[in-house]
Amino acid sequence: MNEYVERKVTFTWSEPRSSYDVVIVGGGGHGLATAYYLATRHGITNVAVLERGYIGGGNSGRNTTVIRSNYGIPEAVRFYQRSVELYEGLEEETDRFLMHDKKGLLWLAHTEMGARAERARAEVNTAFGAKTEYVEPAQIKEICPQIDLTGNGKWPVVGASYHSGGATARHDRVVWALAEGAMNRGVHVHQRTTVTGLVKDGERVVGVATDRGTIGAGTVLSATGGWVTRLAEMAGLRLPIRSHPLQAFVTNHYELQFPSLLSSGDLLFYVSQTARGEMLMGAELDPQPSYSTRAGHPFIQSCAQRAITLLPFLRDLRVLRQWTGICDMSPDYSPIMGTTGVDGFLVTTGWGTWGFKAIPAGGEQMAELIATDETPELIAPFSLDRFARDRTLADRGSSGTH
Amino acid sequence: MAYVRTCQRPALPGVVVESQHQGGTTPPLPLDIPQKPAVETRHRFCDTVVIGGGSAGTEAADAARSEGHDVVVLDAGAGEEVIGVYPGPLVVARVQEGPSSTTLQVQPREQVIVATGASAIQPIVPGSELRGLLTPVAAQHMLDSGIDLGRSVVVGTHPTQLDLPHESGELVRFEGDARGQLVAVVLQDSDNQRRVECDTAVVSLGFTPRNALARMAGDTPVQVVGDAALEGDLPKCPPDGIFCPCSGVTMDDLEGVVERGFEELELVKRATLAGTGTCQGSTCLPYIRSFLSERGADLQPPFTARPVNRQLTLGEIASGAYDHATPRTELDAEHRRLGAHMERAGGWWRPWTYGEPDAEYWAVRSGVSVCDVGTLGKMQISGPDALRLLEWIYPTKVATLKTGRTRYVLMLDERGYVLDDGLVAKESETRYTLTFTSGGSSFAELWIRDWAEGFGLDVRILNQTASLGAINVTGPLAARLLARAGVEKLPGFAAFRRDTVCGIDCQIFRLSFTGELSYELHHPAGHSVNLWRRLIELGEDLGIRPHGLDTLLGLRLEKGHIVVGQDTDYDSTPRRIEHEWAVKLDKPDFVGREAVVRTNSVPLDRKLVGLELEPAGAEAPIQGASLYDGDRYVGYVTSSADSPVLGKAVMLGWVDVDDAGEPPPNVRVGGAAARVVAPSFYDPDNLRARAKVDVAALREAEAAGATFSASVPGPALTPTFERLEATRIVTTPEALDEALGEGNAASLQGARAMRTAADEVLVLGKVDLISIRESLRDEHCIVLEETSLAGRWIDAELAAEMLERTCAWERPGERPAFAQGTVADIPVKLWFEDDRVQFVVSNALVLDLEERLG
Repeated sequence: MNEYVERKVTFTWSEPRSSYDVVIVGGGGHGLATAYYLATRHGITNVAVLERGYIGGGNSGRNTTVIRSNYGIPEAVRFYQRSVELYEGLEEETDRFLMHDKKGLLWLAHTEMGARAERARAEVNTAFGAKTEYVEPAQIKEICPQIDLTGNGKWPVVGASYHSGGATARHDRVVWALAEGAMNRGVHVHQRTTVTGLVKDGERVVGVATDRGTIGAGTVLSATGGWVTRLAEMAGLRLPIRSHPLQAFVTNHYELQFPSLLSSGDLLFYVSQTARGEMLMGAELDPQPSYSTRAGHPFIQSCAQRAITLLPFLRDLRVLRQWTGICDMSPDYSPIMGTTGVDGFLVTTGWGTWGFKAIPAGGEQMAELIATDETPELIAPFSLDRFARDRTLADRGSSGTH
Repeated sequence: MAYVRTCQRPALPGVVVESQHQGGTTPPLPLDIPQKPAVETRHRFCDTVVIGGGSAGTEAADAARSEGHDVVVLDAGAGEEVIGVYPGPLVVARVQEGPSSTTLQVQPREQVIVATGASAIQPIVPGSELRGLLTPVAAQHMLDSGIDLGRSVVVGTHPTQLDLPHESGELVRFEGDARGQLVAVVLQDSDNQRRVECDTAVVSLGFTPRNALARMAGDTPVQVVGDAALEGDLPKCPPDGIFCPCSGVTMDDLEGVVERGFEELELVKRATLAGTGTCQGSTCLPYIRSFLSERGADLQPPFTARPVNRQLTLGEIASGAYDHATPRTELDAEHRRLGAHMERAGGWWRPWTYGEPDAEYWAVRSGVSVCDVGTLGKMQISGPDALRLLEWIYPTKVATLKTGRTRYVLMLDERGYVLDDGLVAKESETRYTLTFTSGGSSFAELWIRDWAEGFGLDVRILNQTASLGAINVTGPLAARLLARAGVEKLPGFAAFRRDTVCGIDCQIFRLSFTGELSYELHHPAGHSVNLWRRLIELGEDLGIRPHGLDTLLGLRLEKGHIVVGQDTDYDSTPRRIEHEWAVKLDKPDFVGREAVVRTNSVPLDRKLVGLELEPAGAEAPIQGASLYDGDRYVGYVTSSADSPVLGKAVMLGWVDVDDAGEPPPNVRVGGAAARVVAPSFYDPDNLRARAKVDVAALREAEAAGATFSASVPGPALTPTFERLEATRIVTTPEALDEALGEGNAASLQGARAMRTAADEVLVLGKVDLISIRESLRDEHCIVLEETSLAGRWIDAELAAEMLERTCAWERPGERPAFAQGTVADIPVKLWFEDDRVQFVVSNALVLDLEERLG
C-alpha cells in the first residue's frame, strides 16, 4: 500500500448560495486558511471560497514547501514565528497527515560580508523568538555531511546561520486539511468559479460577479495569487505589486538521507529533500515580471550548476520535473494584509516567495480581522497604507529565494 | 539510477534493466561523490528541428529539406533524447555517445516538428509486470525477426494486424509462475470468466499519443505530425490493478479519492501522486481520464506537461552553465603577491586584508597608504543635454557645480529611496564624470541610459568602470608622496585636476572616505600595476603599505560615512539616513522628488544614527546587534568596529524615533550601554580631510630630481591573451554612420572598427585620437584610449569548435564580421576573418574566459 496516497480527507461540495457573510476570492492556502480559522476560531461559517481552477492549484501547489521564520526584521520574525508554531500543531489540530518535518535550515555564507549578515540574522531571530544560531564550517559539515565546504574550490563556505525551526510540509495536504476543516463546519468551497467583477453599492463592495452568477457578500477578501492587481483594479485600487515567475525542480526519489534545508544567499540557491525523497531545488525570481508559468532552460541549467557546486553528489541524480509559480512582489518585499480603504474589501497579497510558510498565521490573522473588525497587532505593520504612511518594512537580509 | 518505462536505446555496459519498478524501494542517496568535470554542451542552429526519427518524422524532415530548410532530426532511437521544448524556441536533447553523454541545444529559426509517435496503452490488471507481455508493435518485430514466441494470444479491445489468435473479453488478470513468467490470461465475457494458457500475450488496448513535448511548448508554435497528433484511446478501467506503476497506486486508491471528493484530474493526481513518478503519467493518464469520464464527469484534458521529458542527471542539465564570473581589477595579481586575502565584495574580487590590519590602519591614520578602488563605478557623460540628465537623476544641484569641482550625490528611485551614492565631477559645461559604488555601477548604467533614452536626451554615455583603474592615496603624508611622484599641483578638497603621477596620466580627485588627506588617482587601467608599484616604491621610507577593504570599512565608519547596501535598506529615504543636505527640494524636479516631498510630510519613524559604546574599551558588538531603550527594542547596528584611534567602539545603526523625531539618547546593546551621537566620530570638523596642502613647498623638499620612465601598459592578466591597443568612441549614430559607413565590422584610419552600438565603436590598433575627434561631426564625442581589453587570435576551425560548446547565439556567416554577446557566460567581442577569429574580452574577466574556453 502506498503511504503517500491521501486516504482521509473528504470534501463536501455544495451549490452556491446567493450571498454569504464572507466571500473569499482564491482557493489557495491563504484563502482556505482564512475560511478555516473563521470557522474554527470565530464560528463564522456562512463563508464561500471561490476558486477559478481547483483548490491549491495556484502557487499553493507550486511552491517549495519551506517553513521558516529566520527573517531580518522584528515584524517579520514575529509573524512567521507564529506561523512556524501554528504549523507545528496543525497535524494534530486537523487530524490529518501533513508530512510536517522539522529539519532545520542552514543558510550559508561564502564571504566575510555574508558571514556578518548571517550573524546579524541569528541576532534578530533570537531577539524575537526564532531559533537561529551562527555556526562554523565544522558544524555545518556535521549537520550536512554531503556538503563540499570548498564550493568546488570556488565558493568556500565560511559560516552559516542554522535555523532549527526550519521545516517542510506537503503543500497539497496543508491546503486540503484546511479546506476539509472549513467545509466540515459549513464553509462552501466552489471550484471552477471565476470572479469577473466586484459588485459595489456606492463606495462599498457588497459582492462579486462570477461566471456562475452574482454572489452577495458582507465582506470580500482577495486571497488571489498572481492576478491580485487585476482584482483590486475592479475595486478601484492600485496595488504596488509586480508579479514575477519563480521556478523550481525535483529529482527522482531517494532514501531520506538529506538532513536539513540548505540555502546559499551568495549563490542564490536552495535545496531540501521532500518527504517522498525527491531532492527539490530552486533559485531566485525571474527578473522580468510576467504571469507565464512556462518552465525555462537557463533557470534549470544554472540552478543545477549551483547545486553541484555545493553538493557534488547531486550531479548523478536524475531530474524528474521542473515547474514555475508566480510571485507577487511588493516594493519592500513584505506581504500586504488587511483593510484597503475600500469598504467591504480586504486583501492578503504580496506573498512573494514566502506565501506557503505564512499560510496558518496569515489565515488566522485575517480571520481575526474579519471577525472582530480590528486589525490584530501581529499584522498591523503589514497594512497596505504603510506605503502612504512611509512605514515600509524592507528586509534586505531576507528577501531571498524561498 | 534511472527509472524508465520503456527501453528505446541499447543498454550500456554496467546498466541493469529491471522489468518493473513498483514504487516500493527507493535507492540510497549517494553521500560521497567527488566533483567531476562538466558535461559538454553543443549549440546548433538550423531552420527546422524534427523530434522523432520514425516514418512521420522522416517524412516531415524530407519535406522541410525539399523546401531548402536546414533540418536537424533528433531521434531517441539513435540516442538523442529530447528533454524539453523551451521558449526561444530551444530544443534540448541528451545525446548518448558511447558510455558518455553530451547535451545538445538546438535553436531552430523556423519551426519545431514533434513526431514522437504514440505508445501502446499499458495493461494495469494484476500480473501486468510479468514477463511474456508484449505490445503489438514489439510482437510484430519479434515475429519478423523469427523469434519463437511460444503459445501466443492477442488480448485487448483493439484489433491488430498480427497473425495470432485474438481472444475476446475484458482483461481480468495475468497469471505467472514463480519465476515471473506468464502462464495464462484470465478474461471476462459477460458473466463468463475464462483462463487461456499461453507463453506470450500481446496486449492491444489502443494507443496514447506521445505529445508531452508539444503540450509543454505552450505558446511556442509547434507542429505535431503522425501518431503523436492522434486523439488517443481511453482504455476501460479494470476493477483491480496498479494503474500507476511508478508510484504503486491501485484502482482501489483511485476509487477512494474520487469518492471522497477529489474529482478534478489535477486533484486526483495530487491525492494519489499518480503521474508524478518517472514516466510522468504515460501509463496512468489514459486510465484516470477514462475513470473520471466513466463517472460522468466531462472528459478532462491531460495534466500539464513540463520538462523534463526524459530523465537526465543534474550534471547533464547543468552542462553549458557556468559559475558567475567575478571580475578582477588590474591589480589582482599584485594583491595576491602581497599576501592579500581576497574576497568577493560589491561584485568584484577585492583585497580584504593583507594580513596585518593594525598596520594597514595606522598607515592611513599616521602615514600614507594606498588602496585599490578600481572597482568603483565610473562613467563619462557628455552632450548638450548632459546637465539636464544629471539634474534629473540627482537630487542635488548640478548646475551650481563649478568646472573642476566634484560633489557628493545620492541617486534616488521614484519612491524616494536611496539607490546608490557617488560623485559628480564637472569637466566642462557639457561634460561630466560620475562615480558609483562598486556594486551599483551596472544598475546605474541601465538606470541612466533608461532615463536618457526615455526623454530622448542628446547625450553620450560611456561606462568606464573597467576601463579606468583607481588608486586611493590616503594618509597625512599623501601629498608628500604625490609631490615625490611628480605632480605639479594638487587639487583642493572636492576638486580634481589632470596631472602626471609617476609618469602616468591621471585624473586626481581630492575627496575623503577614510577621513584623512586623500587623492583618488583615476588612470587608464593598463597602467595600474606600474602606478601601484611606483607609488609603493616611492613611499617605502614613509612606511607606505596598502590597506584592504576590511580596514577601509572601519576607517570610513570612524568618519560616519555610510555604505549603501550595508547601512541602507531598500526603503531608506534621505531623511532617514540624515542626508537631507544632499537633496534640494527647491529644484523643480528630479527622480524621487514627489515621493520625498510626500514622505517628508509624515512623521519620521526611524533613522540612522551614530552610536558610541560606553565604557571605552568594551568590545564592539556584531553587525546586526539589537538595540534596546530599557526593555523596548528600538533598532539594530548596521556597522560596527573598534576604533583604534578613538579607543572605543563606534557604530552606525537604525533606531526608532519619538513623536518629535528624536532618538533615545542612550541605548543598550549586548550587555553594554551606548550613546546616540552624531555619526562623525573622528575629526568631526574635517580638519584632516580638508587640510591645506602647500604643494610647491612639498615639491621643493621632495621632488628634486624625480624623473619617471614612460609607462607602457603591462601584459594582460594571462599570457595566452595580449593586451590590446584600442580606442573607444561614443558619438551620435549619424556621426558614426558617416565615419564608418554600413555594417558593424568597419575600419577607421586603417584600424579595425567594431560597431558595438549605434552610438559607440571600439577601434583596435593605433589611431590618432586628436584627428578622430576633429573628423567626427560631433563636438560632444567621447574619444578615449582603452587599455583594459585583452585579445587572442584563434584559428577559425578551433574557434568554431570552442564556440559550438560555449556560445548560445548564432554567429554571422559573412567575413569579415563582428559580433558580440556572452561566450561561456562572459561578455565577449568576436572579430571573424576567413581563417581566424579574435576573442576580445575585458582584462577583468580574461582569466575566467581562458579557463572556460579550454
